[in-house]
Amino acid sequence: MINFDNSATTYPMPPTVSRAVYNAVRYYGGNPGRSGHKLSVKTSEMVYLVRESAAKLFDAETENVVFTLNCTYALNMAIKGSLRQGDHCIISSLEHNSVSRPVYAMSKKGISFSVLEVDDDDEVTLRRLKALIRENTRAVIMTVCSNVTGQILPYREIGRLCRKKGIVYIADAAQAAGVLPLSMNDGFDFLCMSGHKGLYGPTGTGLLISSGRFSLSTIIEGGTGATSLELEQTGFLPEQLESGTVNTVGIMGLGEGIKFVKSRGINKIHSYEMKLTETFITGLRSQRDIKIIRGTGNYSAVVSFNKDGVDANELAEYLSNRGIYLRGGYHCAGLAHKYLGTQSAGTLRFSPSVMNSQSEVYTLLNALKKYKIQ
Amino acid sequence: MTYNLIAMTSITYAQKAKRVLNAQKIYCEVQKTPSGYFSGCGYSIRVKDDISRVLSVLRINNIKYKDAVSGYVR
Repeated sequence: MINFDNSATTYPMPPTVSRAVYNAVRYYGGNPGRSGHKLSVKTSEMVYLVRESAAKLFDAETENVVFTLNCTYALNMAIKGSLRQGDHCIISSLEHNSVSRPVYAMSKKGISFSVLEVDDDDEVTLRRLKALIRENTRAVIMTVCSNVTGQILPYREIGRLCRKKGIVYIADAAQAAGVLPLSMNDGFDFLCMSGHKGLYGPTGTGLLISSGRFSLSTIIEGGTGATSLELEQTGFLPEQLESGTVNTVGIMGLGEGIKFVKSRGINKIHSYEMKLTETFITGLRSQRDIKIIRGTGNYSAVVSFNKDGVDANELAEYLSNRGIYLRGGYHCAGLAHKYLGTQSAGTLRFSPSVMNSQSEVYTLLNALKKYKIQ
Repeated sequence: MTYNLIAMTSITYAQKAKRVLNAQKIYCEVQKTPSGYFSGCGYSIRVKDDISRVLSVLRINNIKYKDAVSGYVR
């Protein structure tokens, strides 16, 4: 089995993650932040240690790290919690539906939005972004790295611009966390990510990290283990945004995933994945019937491509039958496909992790070469 | 045994306080806030060390707390 669908979910995970999940189920069955008995307190402590570890990875304050179910939940909380009637926000042309759909839903409630057409030249992108800013622009909501093409947006410059203008910067780091050296010092106000991609954690985990500069209104209220006698939702992080029991088992697995990323080193992980990607792209270029959806700008280890006259899902199925797993289709990013001109057929996507090898890339390239139109 | 009790705003701040205090070699434990000591519910830390020193460490590290009392018997 060769998995090149790590942009969706990274697999295999490090064995330490599996062990942590087992240990969580076996030994940490208390409800964190609710009771005072030893089982609850020691479970709370384990959750806290993961929160602290995530905070250190992204240069955040520990209490500003909120556990969510995934990146989509984190983005919805940040987007819907930031925007008010009459506000304007800006998204990019490369957004995943986890950004474009909540923003579109908000547009039916008196919020307006503009779409920034991302260019391969960062200067052009930034010039266009500046031109879109209005007096009532409340938020810039953008991916750090496209889940379709792998293009990396100039996030540090966007962060600087947002700080200067007093605009909330909500970033979708689903494809960037654990791969790019992201820091809250880059100007993010709300950094949203899944735990099960570049952080090597289990599914059902995600993070919403706040700079602490802006507060959010809540989209979910309930028990937080704090301020329990008040009807008003708890007003401080992280409890304000963590109503209900958190996913202790997933969080403990995520903690080991983060440890794995730290021990490998983010720059080394990125550099290794880029080497695999370069091998793959070089191999694809020798196959004349393949079109690679990639420009000349700054890109990460995610590659979309198509084979002439072949449906992306059909090709994905052919590869799957040979034990090679890639995702075909639209990758939940309709806006990006419209912008890229790939909305009729979608694309096939290659996304390696550090668990892949060069020989696996060659196996994939050979399989693609052997494919014959049925 | 008599302790000092510091009511924290949340379990997260209680755990943070414990980590910071332990690093300063101040031993403390996290417990539920006992009724009758502070209003509302939540978590407290109990310490034996000098309360003014403990509160000073918390303030320096920007760790929010609600209130503090001495003479908590357990």
